[in-house]
Amino acid sequence: MAADSVYKVIFEHEGVFIHPSSDEDGIEQDLLVSGSLRIIDKDGEIFVEYKPLEDAVDPSNMLCAGKDSSSVVEWTQCPGDKSHQMIETQQSYETEWDMINTVSFRKRPCPNGEGFLNHSHERSRWTLTFSVCELKSITVKEEGWTFLLCKLKEATTTIPALHFHHGGSNEFLDSLRHFVLLTESPDDTTCLLVTSPNKALSQSFENLLDDNSFGLVHKFKKDPYVTTLGGFSKVTNYIYDALRGTEEQHQRPPQEVADLLGEIIPGLEINQQEEPGFEVITRIDLGMRPQVTRRHPLSAEDWTKHQHPEGRMVNVPHLKHSIFKGGLCHAVRKEAWKFLLGYFPWESTLEERKALQRNKTDEYFRMKLQWKSVSEEQERRNSRLRDYRSLIEKDVNRTDRTNRFYEGIDNPGLALLHDILMTYCMYDFDLGYVQGMSDLLSPILYVMENEVDAFWCFVSFMDQMHQNFEEQMQGMKTQLIQLSTLLRLLDLAFWNYLESQDSGYLYFCFRWLLIRFKRELSFQDVLRLWEVMWTGLPCQNFHLLVCCAILDSEKQKIVEENYGFNEILKHINELSMKLDIEEILQKAESLCLQIKTCKDLPHSVSVILGLDTLDPCGSPAPRPTQCLDTCCKGHLRETSHNSCKVAFMS
Amino acid sequence: MTTKTSLLKVILLGDGGVGKSSIMNRYVTNKFDAHLFHTIGVEFLNKDLEVDHHQVTLQIWDTAGQERFRSLRTPFYRGSDCCLLTFSVDDNQSFLNLGNWKKEFIYYADVKEPEKFPFVVLGNKVDVTERQVSTEEAQRWCQENGDYPYYETSAKDATNVAVAFEEAVRRVLAMDERTDHLIPTDTVKLHRKPRSAVACCS
Ligand SMILES: Nc1nc2c(ncn2[C@@H]2O[C@H](COP(=O)(O)OP(=O)(O)O)[C@@H](O)[C@H]2O)c(=O)[nH]1
Ligand SMILES: [Mg+2]
Repeated sequence: MAADSVYKVIFEHEGVFIHPSSDEDGIEQDLLVSGSLRIIDKDGEIFVEYKPLEDAVDPSNMLCAGKDSSSVVEWTQCPGDKSHQMIETQQSYETEWDMINTVSFRKRPCPNGEGFLNHSHERSRWTLTFSVCELKSITVKEEGWTFLLCKLKEATTTIPALHFHHGGSNEFLDSLRHFVLLTESPDDTTCLLVTSPNKALSQSFENLLDDNSFGLVHKFKKDPYVTTLGGFSKVTNYIYDALRGTEEQHQRPPQEVADLLGEIIPGLEINQQEEPGFEVITRIDLGMRPQVTRRHPLSAEDWTKHQHPEGRMVNVPHLKHSIFKGGLCHAVRKEAWKFLLGYFPWESTLEERKALQRNKTDEYFRMKLQWKSVSEEQERRNSRLRDYRSLIEKDVNRTDRTNRFYEGIDNPGLALLHDILMTYCMYDFDLGYVQGMSDLLSPILYVMENEVDAFWCFVSFMDQMHQNFEEQMQGMKTQLIQLSTLLRLLDLAFWNYLESQDSGYLYFCFRWLLIRFKRELSFQDVLRLWEVMWTGLPCQNFHLLVCCAILDSEKQKIVEENYGFNEILKHINELSMKLDIEEILQKAESLCLQIKTCKDLPHSVSVILGLDTLDPCGSPAPRPTQCLDTCCKGHLRETSHNSCKVAFMS
Repeated sequence: MTTKTSLLKVILLGDGGVGKSSIMNRYVTNKFDAHLFHTIGVEFLNKDLEVDHHQVTLQIWDTAGQERFRSLRTPFYRGSDCCLLTFSVDDNQSFLNLGNWKKEFIYYADVKEPEKFPFVVLGNKVDVTERQVSTEEAQRWCQENGDYPYYETSAKDATNVAVAFEEAVRRVLAMDERTDHLIPTDTVKLHRKPRSAVACCS
């Protein structure tokens, strides 16, 4: 999967020595450290790595040793540092551009203050790693043998001389030339100046460190075993790419895009699951996909039948089931959505609901007054509020403008949309306004036709969707990984196809997931889909099965036309407004039933769909046994393809 | 060898609301949709054209501008042949941000020689009467920041839209002719995207 940490050894040479005695501190003269020198490619970033021989293969040492070790160059983010040279910040947009400002890095100062190398007798302490981008120059010296003096751009860090007692220095330099330009210094012909043509690539790598939970380094530290294993699949991809020859050149930009995305999106599985290593599961025979039928929308009459005279809703499970199967007639929506979204408790009486609404009305207008009463002067000094307001104004003008509720220039619907979004900023100032939120509010306001009710229903919906919009977009990452897990269960062959097109992490579903298909379906169909989803039936995360259902309908086209990364993205984007909601819901429900009847469901799938809790015995389903279906062709590939703990095998 | 079509990737960058999506749609479909949604995620459209006897397929990428989505936007900068820096003449802040967009692009796009990269600057919405940015100001910025071509466009009434894209193509083609001669063969591997297709018909 694109998530994997790519670890390729590009060059390796044993019998390279460090002579610690040449250091000033004067350690035992006879101590020579022998080790191997490598050039490695980690996720596109090229490192030079030196490891003493005795050091057994411990992947956790490869990139960053533990925090206590001072023997390895460790990258730490340094907010602020250098940033001022890079960019002069501009007015209120300071925060907007923060990220560029902070993506400068420096090396972590050695915690024990002893300088770059710890003069310990432990040979493992001589391990060293640095990125080729950090190389400033290499001086080639002869002394009966060749030794190289590597200088880093940061002058405070010194690298000990590397002595090539068994030759190999030329090969090393030649290999290095694949990644950097080595040019003779005009002043000193033994000195090769290093220019790194691939600065942006290394910078994007650094950016990953910025995002703590997803940084490769972090991942690598946490579970080097899995990360390295996953890396192997990339090696095969690499070979495959090489075989593709010239075609690769045209493929490269999309692939680079894909790889970068892959680094940003996945990685969750590794952090989330409690046990290290793989959960290996044979490809599961899911059996027949049961046929299901959809029903008519619930009528106003049916709704009233479920309501006691004093207002309590009765037989709620049955009611929810009816809504799941057919949705609601439009006339019922205004009331029913308040229950479905949790604004009204099902068991509340009419009286209680009236009281609740009174309180909520007060609370709403109190918050509304807060932004309404901000003077121009104040707003001039409040860049966040100003930015939220500007975004909201722009987006309100571009949300559902063909809908009668929002069309034209002076439609009151537009003002309501604006005011509710502004008030939501006061309700949750940390989140504020993020693009996509106007899409989530618009149908709710359309149904409620009431500012206060719409606001509180929106608040409830946002409670579910909040993570999608947060700074790290954790919700999006989680969902993409969950979706990928489901798709691999339901249709491994298709997922493999997508993966072969660098699309295995399903980035193209981004818009679907961010705003729950709001842009994919007609307005009326969005209302239907959302009310069905809000029943919480027939399983948790039903919307992910909706994704699978749509993909199931599109896979033939995608595979037959042999779509690549770009074409898949385009094809999925262009499905917008061409989907049939009833067909999709029907298929998604079928998929759910099919999965539910499966006995040996992978644990991760049960967790995603919340099926464990439905176990009648009250105990979680037994973890599936590890069964290896080795006779099936191609299973090895499947295993190595998976970076996640679950490896499906066909 | 016969003339081949080369695929050029251009990307529209600029603040939200300056009209990037509208410009793309105007150019590719020759329509202006006043009810267009704001962009979520990334989209692209293709357009075939001929410039100075070169057959070109333009792949035009359009992104969402909000900060929150930066990490999912910037990977798509990779492999761009040209960047259209866009602001709106009725929004001074969008003009002030041009420099930031340029930096963000260079930073994430893996641009080898930023000084030589073909940027084209678009001042959109010239049909609007209440301007906040004058033509002179914009031209000065373009001159001072790398002598970029500047076009005042309107997605609404189609002013200069096609011309700007054609100029973008010319810039890229001119770049390629230069680099194809300058890059020594052994470093071609490092070159982002060798485009033999273009070289052979020049
Ligand atoms: N008057 C005028 N309005 C425009 C023009 N281009 C775009 N717009 C409007 O400006 C708003 C933002 O346009 P959009 O294409 O969504 O901007 P983007 O966020 O940069 O993609 C929309 O309401 C468009 O209708 C133009 O050339 N003239
Ligand atoms: Mg747009």
